[in-house]
Amino acid sequence: MRRVPTKWQRALQIMTLLLLLAVAAACAAPAAAPAPADGGGEAAGETASDMPAAEGTFTYWGGLIFSETANQMLVDRIEQWGAERGVDVEVVMINQNETVQRVSAAIEAGTMPDALDVGRTFMDLLAIQEQLEPLDDLYAEIGDSVGGWLPAADESTNPDRIDGHRYGIPFSLGGNVLYRRADVLEPAGFTEAPATWEEIADMSRAAQSPPDTYGMGFALSNVGDANITTTMLQAWGGRIADDAGTTCTIDSAETRAFLEWITTAFNDGLFPPGATTWDGAGDNVAYQSGNAIFIANPGSVYLYMRDEDPELGDATRYSAFPAGPAMRVAPVDANLRVIPTSSKNKELAVDLLKYLADPEFMKEYYYHAIYGPAAQGYVDAPIFTESPVHQGLLDLALNGTFGSLPDVNNPALSEYQTNFLTPRMIQRIVVDGVSIDDAIAETQEACQAIYDKYNE
Amino acid sequence: MLTRLTTGQKILYYSLLVLLALVILFPIYYMLLISLKLPKDIYRSPSILPINATLRNYVDLFVKMGFLVNLRNSLIVCGMATLISVFISCMAAYSLVRLKYRYRDWIGRLILFTYLTPSALLFIPLAVIIARLGMGNTLYGLIFVYLTFATPLSTWLLMGYFRAIPADLEEQAMVDGSTRLQAMLRIVLPLTAPGLVAVSVFTFTGAWNELLLALIFITSPTKHTVPVAVSYLITGDVFRWGLIMAASVSAAVPVMVLYFLAQRFVVQGLAAGAVKG
Amino acid sequence: MRAPAPFTDIIMAEQAAPAIPSGETQRRRLTLSQSNALLGYFLVAPVVVCLLVLVVYPFLFAIWISFTDRMVGQPGKFVGFENYLYLMRQPSFQATIRNTIVLVVSVQTLKLVLGMGIALLLNQPIRGRQIWRGLILLPWAMPAFVAFITWKLLLAPQGGAINHILISLGLVETHVDFLSTKALAMPSVIAASFWRGFPFWVIAFLAALQNVPKELYEAAAMDGAGAWARFRNVTIPSIRHVVLVVILLSTIWTTNSFEAVWLMTQGGPSDATMTFPVLAYFGLQSLRIGEAAAVSVSLLPVFGILIFIIAKMLQEEDA
Repeated sequence: MRRVPTKWQRALQIMTLLLLLAVAAACAAPAAAPAPADGGGEAAGETASDMPAAEGTFTYWGGLIFSETANQMLVDRIEQWGAERGVDVEVVMINQNETVQRVSAAIEAGTMPDALDVGRTFMDLLAIQEQLEPLDDLYAEIGDSVGGWLPAADESTNPDRIDGHRYGIPFSLGGNVLYRRADVLEPAGFTEAPATWEEIADMSRAAQSPPDTYGMGFALSNVGDANITTTMLQAWGGRIADDAGTTCTIDSAETRAFLEWITTAFNDGLFPPGATTWDGAGDNVAYQSGNAIFIANPGSVYLYMRDEDPELGDATRYSAFPAGPAMRVAPVDANLRVIPTSSKNKELAVDLLKYLADPEFMKEYYYHAIYGPAAQGYVDAPIFTESPVHQGLLDLALNGTFGSLPDVNNPALSEYQTNFLTPRMIQRIVVDGVSIDDAIAETQEACQAIYDKYNE
Repeated sequence: MLTRLTTGQKILYYSLLVLLALVILFPIYYMLLISLKLPKDIYRSPSILPINATLRNYVDLFVKMGFLVNLRNSLIVCGMATLISVFISCMAAYSLVRLKYRYRDWIGRLILFTYLTPSALLFIPLAVIIARLGMGNTLYGLIFVYLTFATPLSTWLLMGYFRAIPADLEEQAMVDGSTRLQAMLRIVLPLTAPGLVAVSVFTFTGAWNELLLALIFITSPTKHTVPVAVSYLITGDVFRWGLIMAASVSAAVPVMVLYFLAQRFVVQGLAAGAVKG
Repeated sequence: MRAPAPFTDIIMAEQAAPAIPSGETQRRRLTLSQSNALLGYFLVAPVVVCLLVLVVYPFLFAIWISFTDRMVGQPGKFVGFENYLYLMRQPSFQATIRNTIVLVVSVQTLKLVLGMGIALLLNQPIRGRQIWRGLILLPWAMPAFVAFITWKLLLAPQGGAINHILISLGLVETHVDFLSTKALAMPSVIAASFWRGFPFWVIAFLAALQNVPKELYEAAAMDGAGAWARFRNVTIPSIRHVVLVVILLSTIWTTNSFEAVWLMTQGGPSDATMTFPVLAYFGLQSLRIGEAAAVSVSLLPVFGILIFIIAKMLQEEDA
């Protein structure tokens, strides 16, 4: 009898041990896996020129964009480079909606890729956190080989913004183009593109017929698209902060005038239903379903119409952003390739970035991706004369206002924008019924709280 | 139960059931409907009846997108996570219900407490741990991480099932000369079987549906699980509703079938013979 | 009458042992209780180790960073309650507290009342019970993000089925803005959360109901108790334990749920549906882990109180 408990105890001990071993084995297996890959890289490396062998697999994170062809082109190009250099590569396309979480986790865990695509504001944030390699020489070298950078691309890496260095290689300039429904506007007598924001509201008032069509398909919700309202605010002469970029100046007569205009437009029913809670796709869906007369879009809607709804495509005209009472603001910003400080293959990464900047490849790439060119050497790609939306993007790349100009492009402003304080201010008025003055006062305070975090 | 239903009750009950069925089925029907439409039809001619129905979305999904790989990954991760979690939870639950030792209550509380922590709070520290263990970007890592939410729940549910089995059944067997292990295997486990099935189903679904952690820990496209693959269909600012819904239907079907098969156990989990025995 | 889970620990077994009187027993008892304890630790160890590594450590880590100005990639320095004070000053924070309470309380009340009603309905001798039960499980079997994305599409002004039906039937003249009107956004999120969450309640209640000994009902019926009296005096006490556990679990799920609000409204319009997980997510967007952690941590006292209450009730029952 006495031996019995030990027996079952032992049986259970063994079972538990077996299980723990199984788990341990499962953990150990992947840790061992990279070894053969490493060897393979070295073996192949001997055939390549003077490139160092990759330490482990060379990883690249590309930003997933709407055009599958463009995504595939990038993957193919990097794999081709890997084959030529004898390097094992893994290209991972990251959904841009999740870039921030993905990169945050990777930085903390020390699993950042060897190089990646980022938007300019995110690059600034990462550079300030000292997560990126300075690329001043590479920037100059590639710049020479592509006929010089366009001014907006140059501005996107302005060393004055972040401790005197350039941290990225621009590969495209992007921004919004104004889309309008000619088939709705022309019968109402509007054949020309609107020259001012007020004209858009007036055209909308005259041409729309709810619930089938609404004029102003601009997001007012907590999404990046809704920051178009910051652009409008600036066109009215309003400013988020002063020229030093330290003190918020939202509380101004210009802001008041802008808010009066936009709330009147909202209360007149010029915005499609849902505009105050749209997600990133809300404005597109409104346009794609034929409910919106005007939208602002970088080009994904154009691609959609080209492939899926040519009829709507034919009815669409494209133009640059209009002016406000004070000035015309048409934001353009860059997408860049960067190298994390944690990369173990920096030389290879530098080589890859040169390889990717090749004008022949980029011209082909722009055909499928909906971006404006970043450098002079890319401007003569045929697509920039062939397609109306690409013409708009080229115009934006050459003549747009960089980033959040006229406001100072600094991390505080980026945080202001990622918190969507301008659209929220508008929501406070049109959704909550708060007075314009109170909404301004609240936003001014919240804005200053953000700026103060950076002023210390 | 006590009596047969009267006609009035029948009318009331069945009309309530039909209403319930409508509420449950309509969103599912709509999902199916959208999955059979082309993008243009979704936006330009909304309807609640199938117009121009097509299987193109499904063909794209399985042929072009290689959705089968995602299904396989999900099956591996969820199957393994369920097996491990149910096994160790079963041991823990038995221990917490049937055995007496110091700190037992504290351990019980700890397990419940761990279930409260939001995964949004944990994912960065978890990313560090997983990377240190060399399990970043592997399905093993994901299986391991899924134990965070799987084991506390399984343990808690199984504790309920073990409690429902009278301890004197087991004691009787032990008095009759069985060892505790024999008593557990021959008497307790068979009675808990419906509970084990139910807990396995819950764990499996929880893992099958998990998005946030899978998104962070898995980078290679060939290792994407089903929810990640679906979320990747939302690229930037364009929702490909037809494809998304086709993928949603494909993602939901395995779990729905599982539930349908196991529902008897889920419902009868506690009821089966335990009390009468 | 208590729930049919009468014996909860080994005390009874140890009391049973001396029933066999012999000299051996004295020594065996000691060994048994010691080895029981040993076995107990042993069996519970894998789960405890797992949770210490995967939850407790990350959790304590998160609490620590909520008191620092840590940003991604930077160790950060201790700043005391600064993150919490900053949060308090945010207008959206108060809205978040309010919304979280409104959302959780309404969804849970709905699930409790309707879930119980549906469980009682399904417990009747109706035809095709298996099929109805299978049907009930469908929403629960759907991945959460699939369910909420479908609801978003259902409620959408453009291409949404519900608006399409309402307009076709002539019930409304123009699109109803379910997700963008302040008064309708929260009810819409509540409806979708209810739809997705109620099956668990129904199934758990149903399982409990089937476990109530029929004799109890028969005895109560013989005493002349009506339907309501039987429900109050027999059903409720018998399934109390299950109800408490379900409330506890489901409240945790609902409070932590990110998908419903994120996919449907992203917290808008004007913070009308902003909840803790979504606010924390926004915090992460600017790489401020310290602030994001503070948002999540400030939810913990609520959970603490909840657990305390439920644990108390469960303990009373076991006593």
